Amino acid sequence: MSETSQLSTTDVIDTPVKVRRKRKRPLGFYFAATWIALIIFLAVFGWILPAPSWDTSFYDSLGVHPFHHSHILGTTLDGYDMFAGLVNGARLSVFVSLVSVTIGGAIGTFIGVTSAYFRGKIDMIVTMAFNVMLSIPNLVLSLALLSVLAYSDENHPATMSRRVGVLMLSLTIVIIPILGRIARGATLQWSSREFVLASKSMGTKNFTIIRKHILPNVAPAILAIGFLAIGSVIIVEGSLAILGIGVPGGASWGSMLANGRGNIAYSPWEVYLPAGAIALTVISCNWFGDYVRTSLDKRESKI
Amino acid sequence: MAGSGKAHMRPDGDRVLTVEDLTVEFRMSKDKIVKAVSGVSFDLLRGETLAIVGESGCGKSTLGKAILQLPKPTSGSVNFLSTELTTLPKKELRDMRPAMQMIFQDPVSSLDPRLPVSEVLAEPLRVWNRGNQVEIDAKIDELLNAVNLDPKVVRDRRSYEFSGGQCQRISIARSLALDPTMIICDEPVSALDVSVQAQILNLLQDMKDRYGLTLIFISHDLAVVKAVSTRVMVMYLGKVCEVAPPDALYLDTRHHYTKALVGSVPIPDPDRAVTKGLIMGEPPSPMNPPSGCRFRTRCPAATEKCAAEEPQLREVAVGHFVACHHPIS
Repeated sequence: MSETSQLSTTDVIDTPVKVRRKRKRPLGFYFAATWIALIIFLAVFGWILPAPSWDTSFYDSLGVHPFHHSHILGTTLDGYDMFAGLVNGARLSVFVSLVSVTIGGAIGTFIGVTSAYFRGKIDMIVTMAFNVMLSIPNLVLSLALLSVLAYSDENHPATMSRRVGVLMLSLTIVIIPILGRIARGATLQWSSREFVLASKSMGTKNFTIIRKHILPNVAPAILAIGFLAIGSVIIVEGSLAILGIGVPGGASWGSMLANGRGNIAYSPWEVYLPAGAIALTVISCNWFGDYVRTSLDKRESKI
Repeated sequence: MAGSGKAHMRPDGDRVLTVEDLTVEFRMSKDKIVKAVSGVSFDLLRGETLAIVGESGCGKSTLGKAILQLPKPTSGSVNFLSTELTTLPKKELRDMRPAMQMIFQDPVSSLDPRLPVSEVLAEPLRVWNRGNQVEIDAKIDELLNAVNLDPKVVRDRRSYEFSGGQCQRISIARSLALDPTMIICDEPVSALDVSVQAQILNLLQDMKDRYGLTLIFISHDLAVVKAVSTRVMVMYLGKVCEVAPPDALYLDTRHHYTKALVGSVPIPDPDRAVTKGLIMGEPPSPMNPPSGCRFRTRCPAATEKCAAEEPQLREVAVGHFVACHHPIS
């Protein structure tokens, strides 16, 4: 209380001026951000571009090389325009992966955070359920769901929207335990910190503690893994298409890959272009996720 | 040592807290139960500072948290301001919380790294609707000034921008926000440098005088305890060994365990020989504590009686109680 002690404690942190050092971002971040922005732009505004229709076969230009004057990325052996196909595939991939990761992530985070915060029997059941779900290979799960819920043969073709819907449902189910476990682990770590106990001891309600203290602290881990999950969802979608389930007719990147793989000897760009798009998007999601995590982690970003 | 009994309870006086036969047990698996606190009783008068000392794992922190019902004790009674807390419904228990606050050992972990100091201090005020934003801001400035931090400088900073001592000041400010009657300080200085320890201890003393607080001070450091307390309770393996005013505890030690504790306080004199052989080994597992006196396995004066019969606290001098069959005389 005395004058001297006031000085002795305040001179350690002297100026109220905030000095925030600007962190140099890694090159990978700019690359990832540019690619993701491009993909999102194409997904949203692709229909404006002066490109041919993606599902029209141009019989006068079958298997055209890339950089052709009327087909900038060439055509498939069946005469479908590659650029239009990639733009349309971007729309489907972005839509499917964003929706399934957002919904699955929200459900997984809710289950993981609440079960880890309250512990007890429910937490044991949730952990067991997550482990069981994770033990089912996601391809097998999606395969089973698609063949049951979107069964299709020559006489009863399943509609496109039904297939996409079931695909998103199966991917959501795959995402729930992945992000749920991350959320559960991070919550276990943060809810044992003493500020949570302090909050309880001052009478803060449990859901206020979760909202104010737990969620902001577990968010970086969930966002980082969420971006990784977007990448793996795109890969799963591609794998399903190659197996001949999922979205047919070259409507997604994976589906283009599936259609083109027989023609690799004649028109290799049919495989390289969609495969490259998948690879670049997955890498960008991983790098971007890493960046989001480090920049949200306050202490790490200060170093 | 390490016995039960209530001989040290005072029948009259302005009681803030009465704890009787408090037991805290944690079930590890089907047949493994950790007996962290076993039948501890004590009382706390208004304006007192009760120090609880003992080595790591003796149940002193668990005892502090059990008083706040975080988590609820296994059995026993906790009577705070004439209200029995152990049987109180959730809602009424919550209403009691502002009057009893806690300060924790790890100053950095006590503060949410995502919240600026102004939010940390506003939290208790918002939870209990103590005024509008202007009043809350004024209260935050008052609290920060009280703990000798400049509000202008610290308000918008987050916990990782502070040293341990500064974080502990913020924790103290937060615990004062709701005008509590009693604060439980769980090893508040053991994570700090010695020079900063003195600052924080002085600050706690100032706050106690200024706001009329009653303190429970949990520590393993007898030197620190001597500086702050009016009464000391020594614990071993979940039981009470000795209760005495701090001076009596030092100068007229009666319990063999207390003697070992006092002897383990380092003395800053290079010519002095290190005191050896006070007690050996580790404390027994609280899952399977010894019969009778819990200290008998490490006690130099242990006899068969100590294994057969649990010693009760009895008065050996005015205000000095010891739970031992063969106290030091």
